[in-house]
Amino acid sequence: MANWRGVRLREALRLYVITDRTLARGRPDIEIAREAIAGGATALQLRWKTGPLSEALQIGRALQALCRAAGVLFIVNDRVDLALALEADGVHVGVNDLPVPETRKLVGESMVVGFSPESLEQAVEAEAAGADYLGVGPVYPTTTKPDAGPAVGLEHLAEIARAVHIPVVGIGGITAANAAAVIEAGAVGVAVISAVVGAEDVRGAARQLREVVDAALAERSA
Amino acid sequence: MRVPRLHLVTDPEVCPFDRLLALLPDLVAAGVDAVHVRARDRGAGELLAVAQVARRAIVPPAVLLVNDRVDVALLSEADGVQLPERGLPPEDVRRLLGRGRLVGCSVHSVSAAERAARAGADFLLFGNVYETASKPGRAAAGLEALQAVARAVPRPVVAIGGITPERVPAVLAAGARGVAVIRGILAAADPVAAVHAFRAALDRVGGA
Repeated sequence: MANWRGVRLREALRLYVITDRTLARGRPDIEIAREAIAGGATALQLRWKTGPLSEALQIGRALQALCRAAGVLFIVNDRVDLALALEADGVHVGVNDLPVPETRKLVGESMVVGFSPESLEQAVEAEAAGADYLGVGPVYPTTTKPDAGPAVGLEHLAEIARAVHIPVVGIGGITAANAAAVIEAGAVGVAVISAVVGAEDVRGAARQLREVVDAALAERSA
Repeated sequence: MRVPRLHLVTDPEVCPFDRLLALLPDLVAAGVDAVHVRARDRGAGELLAVAQVARRAIVPPAVLLVNDRVDVALLSEADGVQLPERGLPPEDVRRLLGRGRLVGCSVHSVSAAERAARAGADFLLFGNVYETASKPGRAAAGLEALQAVARAVPRPVVAIGGITPERVPAVLAAGARGVAVIRGILAAADPVAAVHAFRAALDRVGGA
């Protein structure tokens, strides 16, 4: 397993695509992932909310192989056991999932741990507890995650990005039209579901987002 | 490894976690020998918190099993897991858990039971044998189906679904090693008395 923790992680978080079968219009996860990676996705998250875990394991094996071959970061959402079984590059947990310290304890030192804080305090605590990156949002209103709550906005993301040393990605309602502002607010990348997974042209949508993110990052460091 | 005979399966819809945790020491003392903690649609964080408290109440020879989540089982130092029929495969789970832990698989057919047994399950949970409020609208599998599973696999079978102390002799006669209960204990007016009744029924027939 490649070690993604450290400097390499920032680069890998530029365009973070999260799978969602309900938005995929019947297209298999693996096909969506292949197209998203061809378009420039740098990280892929397997998010498994319903359906048998045995199936998630099979799909995860295919996604893991695809990501490994493409040099793309492969993350499993919530299920640390699934991440371990798949030897994923990382795992992502939220406030109702396993706590960050316990997650770190299970996955050891080489696996990436991501966390979705709902407050500045949680963000700072997670960094201290060993999280490698934060997913902050919803930045813009979103319908993908009914449990995600109201949009927290760019200022909230900026506040967290200033308070922690680990990289922050914005999530929630991000499209090519509004992604630049997320980077300007301090994110190292954007996480998307519907903007890529739900697109007619997955590859084109990923490429467009990646271009916006790359340009905004270049602008910020200029 | 010794397979428990009286399994208590938790369900926060039937008995909230705080009440369950308060009851557990008495239920274990009364003769429950396996407790399955389940989150249903709660988060893993809550399940872990429950499993960690349950761990302190569940003393040998009783065992703590975590439903579905191997990560929670590892963190709570549970004695094993109870896997859904289409959960993580037992081979992968065994690799994650290490040796000396109990791996149970829920099955609903002979073919699923054979698959789970081949994959290394220590015991199988088969049901629902009778109609049960826990699986509304799902027809009872019946004693014959239980018997078919028990005959087909060289592993102990634990029966679940609408089991009462009165039904224990028939269930054991069909080949079950033990029984698993949710409402029969947790929705009983006196849960401890219910455990005594199940225990007496199981022990009357003796360890199969």
